[in-house]
Amino acid sequence: MTLSLNEMEALAKRAARGGGYSWGLAEEAAKATRWLSARGLDGGLALAEVLEQEFANSLPDHTPGDLEGLWQSSAALCPLLAGVTLSDGADRLARGPIEMRHVVQPVLVLPFAANAARRLEGPVTVTSGAWTAITDGTELSAPDTSPNQAKTLQVEFGGTVSEPRARQTRASPAAQALLNRFAHRTYAPATEESRRLGAGAGLSDND
Amino acid sequence: MTQQSRHIARRDPAQVMRLKRLGSLHQCRLSFMRILTRRMAREGWRFTRPLFDIDDAGVGRAIYSVHGPERSYSLVAFAHDLPPDQRSDRVIAEAWDATFTLFDGVPTEEDIERLSQNVPLQEAGRISESELSLSRANRSVRLWSHVVERLAAGRQPDLEQIESVGYLMRTTAVYGSGKFGAADRETIAARTELQAPFQAEMLSVYLTRIFVRDLVEHMARIKGGDRFVRLSPVIARQLGIGNSTGLGMAPFIINHPILFNNWIMVREEAIARVRAIQTATPKEVALFGTLLQRSAVSVDRWRSAHPIQLDKLARLRADVLALEAHIGAESLLHDYPWNRLLLWSETALSEEGQELVASLILEPYGDSVDGLASCMADSNTDATVIDGAMRVKEVRALIEDRFGWAFALDWSAPEHCARAWYVSEEKLEPRMGERFEEPIADYEQPLAPARDAVAAYKTLADFGEDQPISAFLMRHPEHRHTIRRAQMSRIAPYSEVQDNTISATVLPIDMLRAKLSFFGATHFDPRSDRWVRICMYAGAPYPEDLTPETADLWVYPEGTS
Repeated sequence: MTLSLNEMEALAKRAARGGGYSWGLAEEAAKATRWLSARGLDGGLALAEVLEQEFANSLPDHTPGDLEGLWQSSAALCPLLAGVTLSDGADRLARGPIEMRHVVQPVLVLPFAANAARRLEGPVTVTSGAWTAITDGTELSAPDTSPNQAKTLQVEFGGTVSEPRARQTRASPAAQALLNRFAHRTYAPATEESRRLGAGAGLSDND
Repeated sequence: MTQQSRHIARRDPAQVMRLKRLGSLHQCRLSFMRILTRRMAREGWRFTRPLFDIDDAGVGRAIYSVHGPERSYSLVAFAHDLPPDQRSDRVIAEAWDATFTLFDGVPTEEDIERLSQNVPLQEAGRISESELSLSRANRSVRLWSHVVERLAAGRQPDLEQIESVGYLMRTTAVYGSGKFGAADRETIAARTELQAPFQAEMLSVYLTRIFVRDLVEHMARIKGGDRFVRLSPVIARQLGIGNSTGLGMAPFIINHPILFNNWIMVREEAIARVRAIQTATPKEVALFGTLLQRSAVSVDRWRSAHPIQLDKLARLRADVLALEAHIGAESLLHDYPWNRLLLWSETALSEEGQELVASLILEPYGDSVDGLASCMADSNTDATVIDGAMRVKEVRALIEDRFGWAFALDWSAPEHCARAWYVSEEKLEPRMGERFEEPIADYEQPLAPARDAVAAYKTLADFGEDQPISAFLMRHPEHRHTIRRAQMSRIAPYSEVQDNTISATVLPIDMLRAKLSFFGATHFDPRSDRWVRICMYAGAPYPEDLTPETADLWVYPEGTS
């Protein structure tokens, strides 16, 4: 069985919200998960790994502080926060490379690097040690596997997408159970009242 | 011949996007059902029924295929024997009279076998990338048995009963776009015939209507034997497919701001184009008059037992009379006739009547209007990417534009935030509850954009107006969804409902109607403040009668009231 990309996106959004992220960040997590899945990378699994860390309880500790120098914080960086910071400040990349420290699941930074690439109208290269990924905003060249954590992560404007990954129309269900566990936190427990009133039918349909 | 000689702006979002008006919208030339029937006729789509294997108890399977210029699609239908006590329109139902999927192509035996294990289970089953929709329908018990009995006895059904219900079966959900494993929208979005919104879903319902006619005749034939007669084509044509839609659909128009904007903006653009026409031909005026009369028949057949709709219907009937009197007295040939008519309607008619006029004036002008159908989909995936360089003052200005009306509300007053939208653990479907009476606030879905916009606006006041919004977002990730919406509204002036979606008096049926009117639905019949029944394809030609001449105006009944 596989999931449609739509199902993966919807599940990722609920899971990220259940993991304590704001709705706006949950939307970003969902789009990022879908973007990776559509390029044959298991974005769902990467997201589940991030949610397991429960960063949302102390988000400022996992958000890059000073953006002028090294992007780091007192604890490991959340790739979603590092990602949106990168995407929101795409112009910064045009002025020079960005170096981050201790980024969990750096593969999740790639969809945001792709946003930056589209805004800057040129490829962006993301490197951690031997792991290199390049995206022009649409296509992605990257290995099948990625590090769980990047001690250093270099993001720079430039590069060439040499071997674009094949596009996929389905997502892996590997992380489904894990993500569902987080998504479940967003569901209100059913009460008699909600059953009766919440959806609002209440008339006989046998007519 | 038409002349356009002055520019008339599209109506102001502040006027159009109020819930009361959205809840008064009517179908028009750009409705998704009409886009589909026009195309099927124009391109000469062929229809076949490769399988109809239904037993004497009405249980079995059938396949209806259509063959367009480039591709084929097939409705795979499963007919069941449903005990009456299990017949429920609610999304929480677990059994139905019939279940369906729209298959991408023509299914093999293996496909059908796989689908037979899954489609009857609906949400509890899985479909695949080869399927484009998943749906189910229940009989209208009253009308179904009446029609079966009459046809079995060699007689036609009673017209009054046909009119009072309008359909033999009603769908209770039509899922598409990747739901339950189906193909994603991206898979089909580039196909010309499915580029406009909801074309796969509309096709599945069109084919469902053919199946339902065949099934009712099949059951009557078994019951009546030699005495059986076929359903008269005139009556069959009047029958549509019902649909019962609950609250779950209401968040759609908030969750898809660009898509919903495109629907509204396209209709508003069409209205503006027609208003800019300086002189109309007698033929155009005559067509408008004829369709107004036929609309009056449709309005007359429109039944509802809900007090809100009863009141709206009474006013709409009065509006139709006023409109007929007005156009009898006024020439519609000269001096920007449609603009004059629309402006008059704003002074003389209810919102139901005004929107009927707005939809009807488009009818004589298919050449200027129909091409807009290709602008109704949402293909702008970059619209959701936040521009972090935008300055705080620009974002504040965008919020002022869309939500200025909301600044004066006291959002902590119970009446302004009485409701909360949430997803229930039980069925994972959106619901709406009472914030101050139920334990739901912690689970609230982001479906109150106006409240959230006001909160973000206030927090933005603490930031320097020339700072980039990215600096604000780093400090306030809780406002990220609001900033995104504000930026999207730059390119989508009709993206936001300009009303309070969590007030004590909000009527979710207004949101349902706004969406369903674009499908082309008629005869909105609210069953509560958050649940509505409608009719689809009533009057539409079946394949044997589908021609460019019959493919468009079928929504206006030809009978007399």
